[in-house]
Amino acid sequence: MEIIETAIDTSNKEYKENYIHYEKLAKDLKEKIALTCKGGGEEAVKLHKSRNKMLARERIDALIDPDTPFMEFNTLAAYDMYDNKAPAAGIITGIGIIHGREVMIVANDATVTGGTYYPITVKKHLRAQEIAMENNIPCIYLVDSGGAFLPMQDEVFPDREHFGRIFYNQAKMSSMKIPQIAVVMGSCTAGGAYVPAMSDETVIVKGTGTIFLGGPPLVKAATGEEVTAEELGGADTHCRESGVSDHYALDDPDAIRITQNIVENLNREEKTHLDIKPPEEPAYDIKEIYGILSKDPRKPFEVREIIARIVDGSKFHEFKTLYGTTLVCGFARIMGYPVGILANNGVLFSESALKGTHFIELCCQRKIPLIFLQNITGFMVGRKYEAGGIAKDGAKMVTAVTCAQVPKFTVIIGGSFGAGNYGMCGRAYGPRQLWMWPNARISVMGGVQAATVLLTVKRDQLWRKGIAMTKKEEKELTDPIMKKYETEGNPYYSTARIWDDGIIDPVDTRLVLGLGISASLNAPIPDWKPGVFRM
Amino acid sequence: MFINYEHNNHLYNVTVERRDNQFFITYDNNEYTVTATELKPGQLVIQLAERVIKSVISQGDDSKFVFIDGNIFKVKRIELTGRKTTGKKEGDLNSPISGTVVKVKVTEGDLVKKDDVLLVIEAMKMEYLIHAPYSGKIKRIYFKEKDQIEIGQLTAEIEKEEEQNGNN
Repeated sequence: MEIIETAIDTSNKEYKENYIHYEKLAKDLKEKIALTCKGGGEEAVKLHKSRNKMLARERIDALIDPDTPFMEFNTLAAYDMYDNKAPAAGIITGIGIIHGREVMIVANDATVTGGTYYPITVKKHLRAQEIAMENNIPCIYLVDSGGAFLPMQDEVFPDREHFGRIFYNQAKMSSMKIPQIAVVMGSCTAGGAYVPAMSDETVIVKGTGTIFLGGPPLVKAATGEEVTAEELGGADTHCRESGVSDHYALDDPDAIRITQNIVENLNREEKTHLDIKPPEEPAYDIKEIYGILSKDPRKPFEVREIIARIVDGSKFHEFKTLYGTTLVCGFARIMGYPVGILANNGVLFSESALKGTHFIELCCQRKIPLIFLQNITGFMVGRKYEAGGIAKDGAKMVTAVTCAQVPKFTVIIGGSFGAGNYGMCGRAYGPRQLWMWPNARISVMGGVQAATVLLTVKRDQLWRKGIAMTKKEEKELTDPIMKKYETEGNPYYSTARIWDDGIIDPVDTRLVLGLGISASLNAPIPDWKPGVFRM
Repeated sequence: MFINYEHNNHLYNVTVERRDNQFFITYDNNEYTVTATELKPGQLVIQLAERVIKSVISQGDDSKFVFIDGNIFKVKRIELTGRKTTGKKEGDLNSPISGTVVKVKVTEGDLVKKDDVLLVIEAMKMEYLIHAPYSGKIKRIYFKEKDQIEIGQLTAEIEKEEEQNGNN
């Protein structure tokens, strides 16, 4: 394969300005993550440790194989929500490696409101289970939670994708032969008691782990019986009498050791085979991406320069280079894995959509994972394009993206607007993972466009009544809309609500995609079965 | 000859000319003259100006390990045989997209240099710049600000510098 030749001049003034601007974005991201990783604050951490318990992140570090990466999801979930009282939404989720095999780890952080479930906590837990289900990887729940966050019960309890779904997923996954393992390292009260009870194999820590449907205060109120938490649902009760738990651990490190033994004996099937080569670093400095991405999101950039800094050896076998040029398609390797890349290089036209569809078909036929580098302001609009059938060509691409049975990964490297988001495998199209860069923007259309559309509608309404809008009235209508779009289009707004799996520094993109592909190979890749393409 | 090395994720473009055991090396616009003698296979004595450096080079799987003064450098030779797949396209005076002309930066008769921005077109939330493909004198500008423009339409005409010289 040929190496992509670069045209980037690193001494260029604009490049340097972009670079400095992006360094700030990356630094800001790191600071936000560092702050979140402190959990529920010093006081809560001190109290937690005084109970002879390890912190959620310490537990994960000890559980996974030494010197292996932990691919964390949604670190910034609930960011700027709930008065910022729920860092990481009080739950840490991610894929780690134990005895050489990938597992999904879901760990409650009891320093955050006692590990209780806010609406976003539930969503994050369910998303982790979804990832485990799609990739066929075992789940380990490090439980330390007081159950649902009661003041918000209406957003946590009753609906389909609420608390109950956690246990539904456990039973479903167990039936799919995806091991469910619970480690009770704190309280598991009420609904939370079902996490260990519904697991295939359960560990409980003496002294700190408790499982019960109703805690001591509730028991006292209901029957008058006075009982300590340990007597009611501690390790001795559940390992010797009830059989709710299978393994008796003396403390957190002991529980972790037992859990590692459980994973060692899972007898998992071999992973799916792909033609894998030794990984190779790109020929160009990955950090140069900082200078390539324009600090003005309205300025287009050459996406091949980005591809050159993400793929192995910067080598790229481009497909249909001269056709539908606003979508760049081609084959490459990332961390040694073969991938098919679709990357936006402008607005999508009919030709670009057709090319994308053809390329997706190739990858599905050959069972090559797909990577979408999304920077899309939409499908082209206008009479000429509608008459040319852009809607049906866009639909072909959306059909192909939907039906693509190979593992799909999406990285939003710029804008994500309108139907372009669909064609480029947005959240609704089930990518195994969707990551955002700190410069990303996502909304149904641009703020200016939305304001213009709404203004036109309003003006026409009033016109029919014979009223004309003044400039001031127009401004009063459009300003809040543009502000709303700016706020809600921000990547931190998105990641707080789990519209993505996290915000990553562009320099980590290779690693994150490599880990994602590796995890995806735990599941078989079925044969390609597309839907009807509108011709 | 041109040699490209990769070290620590950075690409170094070096030109090397050899005369006996003297090497004339250009890197980053600096020139170096280096004398290198091979003591035995893999062991070199290198003289760079006043400095004498001993070095051991060992061949790894796909890269070389160079030991100098107790430091180990992993370098890899990269073949840049690629076709030019990226890079600034030769400037084109036709509009790449249908949209609105939001800025006209030159007027007829202006002298422009290659790569100067002539017009800015806005479409689909993005700004597209029309650059001068060559230096010369603006002969015609077909659009003014706020005009609608169609994809492929010619935005301007430039009289090439050489042509002007020819005319003079």
